[in-house]
Order: sequence, then structure tokens, then C-alpha cells
Amino acid sequence: MKPPPFAYFDPTTLEEALGLKAQHGLDASVLAGGQSLVPLLNMRLASPEVLVDTNRVDGLGGLRRSNGTLELGSMVRQYVLEDDEVVAQAVPLLAAAARHVGHRENRHRGTVGGSLAHADPAAELPCLALVLSAELVARSNRGERVIPASDFFDGFMSTVLQPDEILTAVRIPVPAGNVGWGFEEVARRFGDFALAAAAALVTLGDDGSVASASVALAGVSDTPVRATEYEQALVGTDPTPDNVASAARIIERLVTTSDDIHATQVYRRKVAAVTASRAVTAAVNRARGGE
Amino acid sequence: MAGDMRSITLTINGRQLSRDVETRLTLADFLRDHLDLTGVHLGCEHGVCGCCTVLLDGRSVRSCLMFAVQADGHEIETVEGLSTDIDKLHPIQEAFSEEHALQCGFCTPAMILRTKELITNDGELSREEIREQLSGILCRCTGYQNIVNAVVSAREKMHDPQVAGR
Amino acid sequence: MATSIEEKPDFKWIGKSIRRVEDPRYLVGRGGYIGDIKLPGMLYTAVLRSPFAHARIGSIDTGEALEVPGVVAVFTGQDCKEKMNPCANFGPPTITQYPLAVDKVRYCGEAVVAVVAESRYAAEDGVEAVEVDFEPLDPVVDPIAAIGPGAPVLHEEHGNNLAYERIFEFGEVDDAFREADVVVEDKLHWGRSSGMPLDTCGAVARPALNGSLEVYCNSLNFNFFIWLVAAALKLPSNKFTVIPVPAGGSFGSKFFAHKVPTLAGFLALQTGRPVAYIEDRLDHITNSDHHGSDRYYDVRMGLKSDGTITALDVDVVDDYGAYLQFGVGTHGNSLSQAVGPYRLKNLRYRLRAALTNKCQQGAYRGFGSEVQNWVLERMVDKAARQLGMGPEEIRRHNFIQPDEFPYKIPTGNIYDSGNYPAVLQRAIEMLDLDKWRTEQERARKEGRHIGIGVVTTQERSVFSSTEFWFWFDKPAFPLTSSPESVTLTIDPTGEFQVQMHSQAMWGNSPETVAAMLVAEEFGVDPYKVNVSYADSAHSLPGTGPGGSRFTVMIAGAVRGASKRLRAKLFKIAAHELEASEDDLEIVEGVVRVKGVPDKSRSLAELASTAYFFALNLPEGVESGLEESCTYDHPYTTLPSDDRKDLGVFYPFMGHACHIAVIEIDAETGTHKFLDYVAVHDAGTVVNPKTLAGHVTGGAAQGIGSAMYEELVYDEDGQFKCSTFMDYLIPTAMEVPEFKLGHVETPSPYTEFGIKGGGEGGRMVAPAAISAAIDDALSDYGVRITQLPIKPSEILRQIETGTQS
Repeated sequence: MKPPPFAYFDPTTLEEALGLKAQHGLDASVLAGGQSLVPLLNMRLASPEVLVDTNRVDGLGGLRRSNGTLELGSMVRQYVLEDDEVVAQAVPLLAAAARHVGHRENRHRGTVGGSLAHADPAAELPCLALVLSAELVARSNRGERVIPASDFFDGFMSTVLQPDEILTAVRIPVPAGNVGWGFEEVARRFGDFALAAAAALVTLGDDGSVASASVALAGVSDTPVRATEYEQALVGTDPTPDNVASAARIIERLVTTSDDIHATQVYRRKVAAVTASRAVTAAVNRARGGE
Repeated sequence: MAGDMRSITLTINGRQLSRDVETRLTLADFLRDHLDLTGVHLGCEHGVCGCCTVLLDGRSVRSCLMFAVQADGHEIETVEGLSTDIDKLHPIQEAFSEEHALQCGFCTPAMILRTKELITNDGELSREEIREQLSGILCRCTGYQNIVNAVVSAREKMHDPQVAGR
Repeated sequence: MATSIEEKPDFKWIGKSIRRVEDPRYLVGRGGYIGDIKLPGMLYTAVLRSPFAHARIGSIDTGEALEVPGVVAVFTGQDCKEKMNPCANFGPPTITQYPLAVDKVRYCGEAVVAVVAESRYAAEDGVEAVEVDFEPLDPVVDPIAAIGPGAPVLHEEHGNNLAYERIFEFGEVDDAFREADVVVEDKLHWGRSSGMPLDTCGAVARPALNGSLEVYCNSLNFNFFIWLVAAALKLPSNKFTVIPVPAGGSFGSKFFAHKVPTLAGFLALQTGRPVAYIEDRLDHITNSDHHGSDRYYDVRMGLKSDGTITALDVDVVDDYGAYLQFGVGTHGNSLSQAVGPYRLKNLRYRLRAALTNKCQQGAYRGFGSEVQNWVLERMVDKAARQLGMGPEEIRRHNFIQPDEFPYKIPTGNIYDSGNYPAVLQRAIEMLDLDKWRTEQERARKEGRHIGIGVVTTQERSVFSSTEFWFWFDKPAFPLTSSPESVTLTIDPTGEFQVQMHSQAMWGNSPETVAAMLVAEEFGVDPYKVNVSYADSAHSLPGTGPGGSRFTVMIAGAVRGASKRLRAKLFKIAAHELEASEDDLEIVEGVVRVKGVPDKSRSLAELASTAYFFALNLPEGVESGLEESCTYDHPYTTLPSDDRKDLGVFYPFMGHACHIAVIEIDAETGTHKFLDYVAVHDAGTVVNPKTLAGHVTGGAAQGIGSAMYEELVYDEDGQFKCSTFMDYLIPTAMEVPEFKLGHVETPSPYTEFGIKGGGEGGRMVAPAAISAAIDDALSDYGVRITQLPIKPSEILRQIETGTQS
């Protein structure tokens, strides 16, 4: 299991990197943290002619919070989400869910942008980008595009990124006010891709009913999915665990992942609903001030 | 086609060195085949088993998922950086032997490096938290219990001022 | 018969948890594994694996591959067929195999072409450039269909896909069922997993002097059978030497794993250069010699209304995959302890071995006996539930009692000793079973599902060789040897050398065991004993580890060699001290006259005499201090001609009780261990800590086989889990904390009373986990009938149970 030959470039500026992408297009793969790409290379399931290693590109590894937005450079390592105080303060959901992304050794190299661009539907970060209504910033020599997460994932392990584009940042609106969050995942082993995972944000009205809800799922379809019908069903209701759970049945129809060696589709349907309702209930409890 | 070659300079176990490498050479193969650091083991070469774990600038990474060129300018530590003298083992190595935390030894260097990182960075983890932090390295022999014991025991040793300086 | 713990002899080293003597080299990254071996001019091999389950191999175009920079040579199955004999084979002669497929591929992943190059990178570049025309054939995936009418045949020469069929009957089975008050039956499936060591199989072969071939190899070879590999390579046996290399785990996967060294040897002979073939993970998962058991059972158990088990009827189809190199020995293991720890007299065992388009089966920790344990315990639990008995109650009622040993079971095998009630009692106390039952009830009222699984299983140890052939009325080679040897040397300065005569190190502790035993015999420091391994050209007969045999066998060999060496020391010392040999003793490395401590010679002094002062030696004593012992299996008997009695073939019978406490999340089918107790009896314990390591490590693998690991082929024979992303080895998060206990009932037949315990927790854990899950979800009528148990299956059964 050794990688095939490739032409290797490790530019230090974004301009150089974009130049290489403009020149080589689909023949060039971006090497970010390498936790998904390098296994594919080692198994020779991917054989790009050119690797554009963005690890030395200046300016992609920053993290800052300003004006209600948490902006993460695409090369921010995933472990930073776990460790960084700014992230924990701004988007505690992200900090808490990050420990489910592979294992710590993977997160030391794996990047936020790499995971999003790889777009594995069972991965946590794409799901989190959706639930947080993140915006993804793509650059090319043609300029900059800001893509809402809801438009970013367009098929199985596929995104709307163009061959000449590089993901440079993720902008996450910092949830304002008293927003509760929850994250639930079921995997065969700890650290595996999700059989089903759900992330939720909930705000409550003065009467304790759900004022707004955002719920997204991983592992259940070709892409991560927002459970919009479930969100709508929750709004205005009294979020008792029973209400939250019974409304979650609606999620079952979102599940399209076929049977595989780890789980059946029937199972994923049930468990998608369970993880969603548990995530929402956890979010409700946090919105009420519990932990 | 032969791959591109690059000259790299990096620090391995405290020693700076330069080598010419093919750009597709993995860091794991570089350490094993070019530097004879045989404590780096190849168990799966797709980033799951963790036997190739090394510390890159103090953080554990899977060296089968990096290219040697990517380590240019960085510091790498392998198990050989703790001690290669069997009569003067590092306290973590001692703890692994005392607790019978190794059987075939194939995951052991990775586990030892991860232990060093945990003791250095993460303070007083519970046994359950230690298990979570070790979950990125597979052990097929021990059932992990004695490895957890070794982490706890090594931590005590390292916090003992008599041995902490080593 | 068995000595009780109180009467245990006063050993100085045996029974002590000393640090392993093997450890230091591993701790500093100098394990010396196969991947660490680099020979000047060495070439590397990569293999093209079949993408089809079943296909005819058409033309192979290697031209482009030979143009790839670094590629030196390319070989196909046709080259093998022309230049070598088929691989070593303990199965039917009509099922032949070469290290590269000849004419046909018979499973996904089977090796088709080998590319030899200056680096593994270049070799893989070469593989990508090879073009093979495959003509796909219909695959045979389901083993029951495979042995039914009309199935495509894997081996035309064999004629059909039924590799073996026989019914063994012991006792009066039909009568017993007729007279039974209760009969429980079930269909069970034990899924295919494997040892999956983190270090794969590998070999480095080097053409050596005068046409001989040296092969460095991490296979656990029976060195007295290594001529079989030489024969495959058409080499005289004395021109073929295997140099043992420590293995980074085996668990069965390196048990006489000969395909890899055979291929490396072939490539070295063809190229005239040293050649390494080291499996990568894809090679190993898809194409190892040793996938584990894959069995489909129809089982019936008959009982009296008081819970007495009277009859067991086992009908098993075992999916052996495409080849049968190790015969059906995994069922000999089942028969060695077929009735478990129970006084069950009547047994029928029907075995059909099916050939399918899958990788071949071999050994995995337990060698098939762990499957029988699971099946038996599943049936006992089902019967207990039907009879309204508790799991410990039905077991106690049926246990063979401590005063009944040695006990002959219906198959003819002997159980040497044991105290099953004591093991169970110890486990119950360690867990505090009553506390957990109370907690279980409390939790049930809160809607939580806690289950307690109590199982008691056998842990046979030290196989002998009759089980390889008692299957057949007219066996071709009715072998009766399975020896192990040791050479013990005191060097000229008085230091000890132990040489073992097989590749014995795979993560067990052979050097520690040998060093401790030498220390026990001579009163020396075990850490000063040096241990090495002989190559096959210089070795005495050795079978190697497997079937939990090595500690028992090496103890016998060390003891034998020690006796001889001590006799020689005493002869020399008696001569020097002018004393009678009978008056001498060895204490802490000094030979002295009993009662006269001043009259003594140190081992260094005696060694000096032995090596340098021939004129000081007594008459007839040669110079030097070296003795060897080849220890044969201490208790083997032949099977009867009619095979109604299979003889004694696995008599040193360990035992274990595991109690698992598991909570199931009934909404997701996922689980959490709340507690886990494992009590084992492996006779006299040499080193409690290393034995405990086998219990916990084995239990972790048992958890893997029970809940995570599965080598899956789909209906087209495509392999669905060729990576560690899909073959799920438990991590530290999936394995619980174990509470461990030991009970010691020494074997009357082995040196020091040792029994083997190397297969450890894997013999027991799957049954305990299955029982705990059933218990947790008894309200839904959940019953585990196939492994691995996936959350989706648990949830499916909960849904079914809720509806009914």
C-alpha cells in the first residue's frame, strides 16, 4: 500500500496554490490534513497527477471571532476545535462534537476545510456546518465565492467546489442569545463514521415552547441533511422528551443510505430519529440553563 | 515514472539531519527505511491502526498519512527518542514493562509516545478518559487494561521529582 | 487427584508475576520484526489480487509492467505450475493450491501475479501495469447451496464442493432424545473473523550457498514439517532453512502460514536475489492463510425435567472457503471438549465442510473449540430459560465434579483435572452477583435493560497430532508426534543459554517462561538467562506454539534438559568435591554437599572445569555443558478403528467462568459494559501477569468476534471489508475493565502441573456476551443466534418482540 507517483507542490501563498489549481484543474488534488486523501492514495483508489499541499500556505490556519461570526481558516486542525477557548465560548456544539471526528491523532492533522471538501456524508463536520448555517468561502483566480453550507454538498462525496477552487475558510454565525445545543452519534466503534448522528440547536420562547430549531443529520443519506420538516414541527411545541421523540418520526423518511455491512436502512431510519430527538432534548435542556 | 526528489531538513529525536527523498515517500517509510527507526511500525498504512504514530512538533500523528517532504522543517520524535538503552529505559518504557502492557510489542512504541503526549499535555485524566485518548491506536494483544495501568503508573513516575527530569 | 492450592509446592519463581525478559527490545523499537529485515540487494514484492470471486484466468500481459522503472521481474501462476509443486496441504489431495492462482481464481483477493522490484513502491507501480483477462464464472457464496445440487464446482478435480462429511456418534443419542423430558433446538451461525495481527505475515528469502535457500519468516512453523515447504519449492529438505523471526501477533494467523514463505522462496529462486514478500493489510485481510471459523449449526439438546443434560445433536456446515489446507482440524478441537464441563453422555456430531468462493480458513485463537463453547453455552442457556432455572443453577447441576477426574468424555478425550464449582463460585463472589441482580431489577423498573451473562466453558490445551487424521478411516499419514525441544547450555563462564527449536515468539512469553523455569531448576536469576531460537537447519523437533501448548511443552523440555544438565554438573562436582552425586544439591546457582554448605562449587567453577580442564573431568564425561531434551506430548492415545473412541488428544483441560454485565440501549441497540469478571483455571500458573494478559487480550478478541469483527462477502462473492475502516477491531473504548481471578487445579500429567491458557478469554467471552444480551432484553424475547451481534440486529429483534 504505497502511493502512486504524483507531481508534488507545496506553495506558500494562496495565489500560487490557486495558480496550480487553475493550471491542473481536476488533475490536481488538494492535500490538506491528508487523513482521507492519503489512505486513498496508499490504496491507489485515487491517482491524481498533481498534489497541491496547502499545509505551508500562509493565512489559512487562522481562527477569529468577530461581529457574531466565528471564522475558521480551512487549514485549522480539527483538534483546535476541541481545545480552543474561543471555539468553546462561541460555538460549544462544535467543541463538543469534535471528539467524534476520527481519533485524536487524526485530528492533529485533519483540517476543518479538508473534511468539508471531502464531504463524507457520515462525517461530523459537514453535518455541523449544516446545522450551524455556516458559510464556506471558496477562492479561485476568478475570485471569491461564499457558499451557504446548505448549497455546498451536492451528492455522494461531492461538493459544488469547481476544479480551480480551494476552500479557504468557514464562517459560522455565533448563535446569539440563549441557544441550546445537542449532539448525538451512534457508530459501531468510538471514532468510526456515524451510522447516524444528529446535531441540534434550539431556542425557547418565554413560555418554554420551541422558538427556533435547527437539526442536521449525518450518515443517513448521500449528503448530510437538514431536517427542516422536523424543525418546523418542533417550533411552537412544548418540547417534552415525548413530544420531541414523537415528532422525530418524520425524520425516518430522510434516510436513504442503503443497507451496508454495518447497518440496515431500517436501522438507520429508527436511529436517525432517536439521535435527532436526543440531540434536540439535550439542546432544550441546555436552553433551559441545564447542562 | 520515478517520482520527484526533494531535499529535506528536519529534527529527529533532537538531531537535525538532511536527506533527499522521493516526494511520494511516506514519513513512516522514511523513518523506517532511511533512518532505521524500526520502532515506527506499519500495521495498516491507511491511518486506522495507529502503529506508525510519531510525535510531530510534540503532537501524535499517523506517519503513514504524511509524506516525508511534509515534515521538512519540523521536529519528529519516535520511541527511540525516549531511550534506546535497555539498561536505562525511560520511565514510561519502565511502566509498560512493569504493568505487562505489551505482548507482541507491535503497538507499543505508538502507545508509549501517546502516553508521553498525554502525560505532558493532559494532566489527570480518568481511566475512562485515558481509554478515549488511546482509542486511536489498536492493540491486538493486551485487551488494553494493562496499557491503561501503564499510563497511570507512568504518570505517577513522571510526577515524581526524582524521575521527572529524565 | 489434583493437589489443592494449600498443598502447592514451594516454588521460588513459578507463580511470580515477574517482568517479561522479552520486553526491553520492544520498548526501544528493536523488535526485529520481518519488516525490519533488510538484506543487501533485496527486492520487494507486490501482488495483484483477484477482483473476482470465481473466474478463469485468460491471458496475462506483463510487458508494460516490466517497463516500469524499478521492476525486475513478473511471475504468474503458470510460472508456479511449471517450476514448483503445489503448496503444503493437510487437506484432500484433490484440492491443490499454489501461491499464485493457476488457471482459475477462486476468491476475491486471491494472488494472481507477483511483481518483484527494487522497492515496494515500484512493485506496486508494476502491479498497476499488469493486464489480466478474467472470464468470470458463477460464484458460490452460500455454503449450504455450495454443497447442494447444481452448484458451480470450485475444484474440478475434487468433483464437488463437499470437502468432507462424516457423522460421529458417541453413546445412545436417539434413545437419549426419546427419553428426554425437554428438547431445545436452534439454528446458530458463528460468523467469520480472524486473528488479524497488527504485524502481517512476511518472509524474506535469500538464495544461499550451494543451491540452498534461507528464508526469514514470521510463520510459527512446525520445523519438523518444514520439508513440506521445501518440497513445494522442489528443494531437498536439507537445502532449505527457515530462520525464525518474531511475529507481531498471530492468534492463529501465523500458524504454519506457509503460502507467504513459499512465494518469497519461489521468487528468490527465480530471480537469484533476496526477495521480501510482506503482506500489506489488504493482502492480509483478503488473502491470508487463516480466516477463522464460519459455521452454520442445527443443534438439539435433550434434558431431563430436573435440568440434567442427556443428549446433544450437532449438525454443522462449516464454510471453509476455497481451499482446505489444514483439513478439518478445527472440528477436532470442538470434539476435544464437545460436552463442555458437563456430564453429558450422548453426542452426535455431523460435520460437512463446504468449499465456497472465499478465502481459506485456518486457525484463530481457539481453533474452532471456542465456537463449540459458544454453541453449547447458547443451548444450555436456552434450556435453562425453558426450565425456569438460573444460569448458574443449571450449570452446577450438570458439572463434572472435582472427584471425578480424570474424566473421559464421550468422544474419548480425557479431562485431566478441574474444579468447576469452585471457578463458578469465585466468579459469582467477585462480581457480587446478587448485587447486580438487585440492580438489574431496579433498573428494569426505570425502563433500563441490564443483562447478566454467566457462562462456564472449557479451555483445552496442548493438542496432539492424532486430531489431524482421526477423521479418516484410512489416513494417509497417521502422525503421532507433536514434540517440543530445548537446548540448555551453561557457557564457559557459567552463564545460561536456552535455545528453543521453533518460532515461538508472537506476543506470548516463551522466553520469560523458559527463563523462569531455568531459574527454578538452577536457582539463578531469570534475567541473566539468554534465550534464542534455532533455525530449521539446526533445530531439534519443534511444533511451535498453538492450541495453548507452548508453556506446557517448553516446561517439559526445560525440565528434561535440566535433569540431564544437572546430572552432568553433579558428576563433575562430585568428582571435584569427592562426594557422592546423591548428596549434592543446587542452591542459588551453587552446587553443594547437602548439609555442608562450605563444600561447594559455583556454576562458573564447574563450567570452567567442563570446558577447559578435561583432565579434571571424571572418566567418560565429555567436555562442555550442554544438554537437549525433546519432549513429546505426555498423554496421547490412538483412536479406535471404528472411531467410536477418538482417543486422548487434548487432555490438559482448563476451565473458565465469565460473567458479563451489559446494559442495552433499547432505542439504538447499542450496549455498554457495566462489569465483567473472568476466572480461569489453567493449572499451575507460571506467571500470573502474563496469563492474565491472555485472558484480557483473548476476551478483547472475543468481544471483537461477538460484536464487531466480520469478514463479509456479498452474494456475488465480493469482499466487503478489506480495510480497517470496515473490519472493526475493538479499541480501548470497546473493551471493558476486567476483574480477574484464577483457580489452580494442577494437571497430574504435565511438569509442574501446568495447563495451557494462551487462548484465554476468547474461549469464553462470546458466550458470556450473548447470554448477557439475551438477559437484558428477555422482555422482548431477544435471543442471539448469530455472531457478530450488530446493533441493527438487536433493534430488529426488539421491534419484533414489541410487536408480538
